[in-house]
Amino acid sequence: MTRIDRYLGAATGALVLAGLAAAVSAPPDRLQGELQRLMYVHVPAAWLAYLSFGLTLVGSVAWLRSRQERWDRLAASSAEVGVFFTGLAIALGAIWGKPVWGVWWTWDPRLVTTAVLLFVYLGYLALRRATVDATRRARNSALFGVVGFVQVPVVHFSVLWWRSLHQPPTVLRPGDPTIDHVMLAALVVNVVAFSAVFTVFLRMRMRLARDEAELAAATEAPGRPVAGSAVTAPAAQVAAVTRQMDQREG
Amino acid sequence: MSRAVGAGEQVRALVGLQLALERRTGEALLVVAPFGAVALLLLPMAVGTDVPLLRQVGPGFYWLVVLLFGVMLTVRHSAEDGPGPRALLAQCGVDPVARALARVVADAVLLLAFQLLLAPVAVALYDPRIPGWPALLLVLPLVAVGLAALGALAGAVSAGVPGRAVLGPLLVVPLAVPLLLGATQVIEAAKYARAPWPWLVLMGLAGLLALLATVLTARALEEAG
Repeated sequence: MTRIDRYLGAATGALVLAGLAAAVSAPPDRLQGELQRLMYVHVPAAWLAYLSFGLTLVGSVAWLRSRQERWDRLAASSAEVGVFFTGLAIALGAIWGKPVWGVWWTWDPRLVTTAVLLFVYLGYLALRRATVDATRRARNSALFGVVGFVQVPVVHFSVLWWRSLHQPPTVLRPGDPTIDHVMLAALVVNVVAFSAVFTVFLRMRMRLARDEAELAAATEAPGRPVAGSAVTAPAAQVAAVTRQMDQREG
Repeated sequence: MSRAVGAGEQVRALVGLQLALERRTGEALLVVAPFGAVALLLLPMAVGTDVPLLRQVGPGFYWLVVLLFGVMLTVRHSAEDGPGPRALLAQCGVDPVARALARVVADAVLLLAFQLLLAPVAVALYDPRIPGWPALLLVLPLVAVGLAALGALAGAVSAGVPGRAVLGPLLVVPLAVPLLLGATQVIEAAKYARAPWPWLVLMGLAGLLALLATVLTARALEEAG
């Protein structure tokens, strides 16, 4: 663990505690009461899903331009962490939706497009897992990573394009946010805290990806016995041929 | 003395080759289409064989079967997909973009035939009321082209990958949601006397984006293969 990791870990811990304190001390919603506090985890999770798939796009484009492995590691690691946060946002949305809407799941455009987003990136990860050759894996997944990002703005704008149960954007919108300013402050603290958690996860996953690549390179290194090398001439025949040659020369 | 063959001619020749392969194997229309018809037959058993209900949900079932089974059709392995034939085509100077476009055109033709084969089956089984049926003349080719372009992209990305038959659909189906939505909503719009154009534009845009992605990535993917 490097010094940066130690500082980052400590800062993340402090930010998470601050986020928790802000979420608990913020006033409850007038209509939803305490339930609304789920927002302080649900919204950061959704924001991190956007951010991580954005980083996958950046890593994919950068790999296509530079062919450097680190960009591929960034794209892949970010997609993996993004799938986790998308799943978390969906799960928390369902838990929030049950008491408020009366159902765990409804055919709302935001929910459906977010679920589609999850499956797009599960497909991305499946494609990576299925491709053995590292360069080919990087290229194919980079191209798919660029195409798959189209779904992210569709998710964000779905609440504006279609009639939706889900509330429209309250913070990422033109003009003044339509949220109480104390709640907004608590939300911002939690977004920062979760972004720090995301950074820790991403760094850990990228390091793991680098170690995996090094391990794969080491196990495929030249000098290891390959299938063909198992086929050798029988010792008795070699000895007989050597004897015959010696006799001829003698 | 040999002459250079233009991209259009390459596409035409490759489309002819792929359709000839399909005529010989019958994989799309003699295997996938009957499988789709069986699905149309089985679906009512899952939701109840109530005629008014089936009349209502029948068009949706039809498009779902077209999407799921159409994906199988587009990501099927063709004899031309093997590393040998691909290397040979590259040696002959066949442009990867022409190959990708040929795949899209051939699959779009097969998907259109697939949809036309399944349509009478759906009509016979579900007896749906289709008020805006002339719009289907646009919906059918739009779905065919959009799905073919997505399938060509997924097929190229997953070429030579083990488990391609299951990976391909996972890559295509989430991206094909606008096509499914558009196709079903055009009929719904006609039912309530609303204009179908927004849905047709959505489908056209999704198909165009898929086609652009397929064409723009063709060379890079060929290099990878």
